[in-house]
Amino acid sequence: MFFHLFIYRIKSSVRNVQLMFWTLAFPILLASFFGLAFSNLNKADAFSEIPIGVVKTGTFGADSTLQSHLDAVSSESDDPLLTITYYSTAEEAETALSDKQIKGFLVDDADGLHLHLLSNGLDETITKQFLDWYLQVSASVERIVRTNPSGAPAISGILEKNVTYITEQKTGANAPNSTLTYYYALIGMTCLYGAFMGLDQVSCVQANQSPAGARLNLAPVSKLKVFACSLCAVTLIQYLTILLLVAYLSFVLHVDFGNRIGFILLASFAGCCAGVSFGAVLGAVIKKGDGIKSGILIGSTMTMSFFAGLMQASIKYAAIKAAPFLAYINPAEWISDAFYALYYFDTYDRFFQNVALLFAFSFVMYLIVYAIMRRQQYASL
Amino acid sequence: MVVEVKNLVKRYGDLIALDHLDMEVREGEVFGLLGPNGSGKTTAINCILSLLSYDKGEILVFDQPMRPTSYQIKKDIGIIMQNVAVIDELTVYENIDYFCGLYVADKKKRAPLVEEAIDFVGLNDFRKFYPKKLSGGLLRRLNIACGIAHKPRLIILDEPTVAVDPQSRNNILEGIERLNKEGATIIYTSHYMEEVEQICSRIAIMDKGRIIAQGTKDDLKNMIRIGEKITIECLTGDPNDLIDAIGELPFVASADAREKNLLVTTERGHNGLSSLVQIVHDKGIQTGRVYCELPTLNDVFLEITGKELRD
Ligand SMILES: Nc1ncnc2c1ncn2[C@@H]1O[C@H](COP(=O)(O)OP(=O)(O)O)[C@@H](O)[C@H]1O
Ligand SMILES: [Mg+2]
Repeated sequence: MFFHLFIYRIKSSVRNVQLMFWTLAFPILLASFFGLAFSNLNKADAFSEIPIGVVKTGTFGADSTLQSHLDAVSSESDDPLLTITYYSTAEEAETALSDKQIKGFLVDDADGLHLHLLSNGLDETITKQFLDWYLQVSASVERIVRTNPSGAPAISGILEKNVTYITEQKTGANAPNSTLTYYYALIGMTCLYGAFMGLDQVSCVQANQSPAGARLNLAPVSKLKVFACSLCAVTLIQYLTILLLVAYLSFVLHVDFGNRIGFILLASFAGCCAGVSFGAVLGAVIKKGDGIKSGILIGSTMTMSFFAGLMQASIKYAAIKAAPFLAYINPAEWISDAFYALYYFDTYDRFFQNVALLFAFSFVMYLIVYAIMRRQQYASL
Repeated sequence: MVVEVKNLVKRYGDLIALDHLDMEVREGEVFGLLGPNGSGKTTAINCILSLLSYDKGEILVFDQPMRPTSYQIKKDIGIIMQNVAVIDELTVYENIDYFCGLYVADKKKRAPLVEEAIDFVGLNDFRKFYPKKLSGGLLRRLNIACGIAHKPRLIILDEPTVAVDPQSRNNILEGIERLNKEGATIIYTSHYMEEVEQICSRIAIMDKGRIIAQGTKDDLKNMIRIGEKITIECLTGDPNDLIDAIGELPFVASADAREKNLLVTTERGHNGLSSLVQIVHDKGIQTGRVYCELPTLNDVFLEITGKELRD
């Protein structure tokens, strides 16, 4: 019986064009689009140093990390990315910017670090990448300090490592760039799109959601058993589509995932489970209206992915800085962060923390689904 | 008794969809549940199948109480729901095999059953088709095949001929009679009285959640006052002049005129055609077509509820 249900579920899901579009075609299209956009951006090989300004206000000196990062990428280093002019007030910097002496300037005021740019050329993008990268590192540091205060000594290690990363950037090797944020967030989004699968499985077994569901409820089998088989089937499909996407990113677009393949497989699997279970909850809670369901699904997964940095890498760090709890309740963030942690850190604490969150999330989702779906009779159809 | 429903009450909020419904279906019969749209046929079926919860009442199927987990009972039931319930991404063959597989786990036993079902509904040329490519009638047939492939002892069909072309409709009705001959008990709901009259051995007429009359079609027709409906076409003279005289006859239930036609209904058990024609001739009126109809289930419905079955 299991095999029968499993095989037919696989067949019918794989042939479902809409399902396959959202879970497979759309992410690959988006990835290709990113690839195209970033390949232009990375033509920055032949750039000269970019002149930027830094406003040294009272608070600026307090953050020696920023200073050391700036030193690491500016004329102070062997391999400069930026030439930095220091100003004592924002007005001076503003004037220099409008006179085109500098491409932009950094201000570190009470609400954090800001980048002021004149236009959106390539140079500005690179400057922005630097800021993105800086914010990302400082956010990680904050997070580590918050979650693991005793691990403070490890931080300086991370920072040093990242400093060397950026100085290596122009030598071409395994450079971290904020484009990774996009790709990792894309994987997060794709995992969450597994929700389409979960949603579909619920409607296929609930008598009040589809005629085929009604037929199933009249058959001599437990609908929860059928549902469990269906979930196994679609989680497998979803998992394969994620692997396909990761393979596409890695082999076609040359996105760097590090080389710990087993962990990548694990993170993908955890992400799939979270996505499928999320859809199952949506399907169980919202009874009628396929359009409404898909709308809510796309809306919520896009919002989560947005905060995980899908559209704009800096959003991720801004969000983490502004509302740290967001990162703790956002499955898209857990998924992309798991990939991050794999890429940036030698240790697995943060990686496993994310994976555990994903599994726990799936578990809670399925508890809710079970509570709603265990009823065997319907008050109305 | 195959199905026994006692005192069944089902409410949707304030609406009483089933109002103390009593119903019995006997082994081997084709039981018709006839009623206008919204009379509660589908609700009754879904309660019998334990798909819907109900407020009051008792339901026995094969002499055992029916519950959502009565899998032993469910194995012997085949359902063809009002809405087509197939999976769009599976072909005709796969759909039948999938649903049959919920009843018959053994693949070797299942294969001939699926073949037989495809044959039965005449979808042999369409076995690789997806449901979206089938016409309305063929889709209905697939829906039926999905419900009967496992050879159930009790088959329930809820309005299987709605929106179906005449050819498919006949195919479906013949199929139901064949299934019945092969030994299955049938429950058939419809709002088409002709179909119910044609295939059902016993009929229950439903209105507003109640069964208002039950029996064979002759039983039902005997319940009402009118025996025959006689139409006499008057070629000369005005039929209105005759109404009073005819209305006074002892066996006449009603007399009316419509254009050139005189319409008379007689009391049950009286045959007044020849005396009526005699009276018309005596008045010097020449008659054209004269014909006599037996009452239909619509007349039964009309007399009991005061409204037409189809409005
Ligand atoms: N899910 C529901 N919620 C509220 N009212 C319903 C629902 N389903 C049916 N009804 C009402 O119950 C009555 C019986 O409906 P139904 O059993 O579908 O009739 P039939 O099958 O004879 O056409 C109708 O008045 C209908 O409007
Ligand atoms: Mg109905």
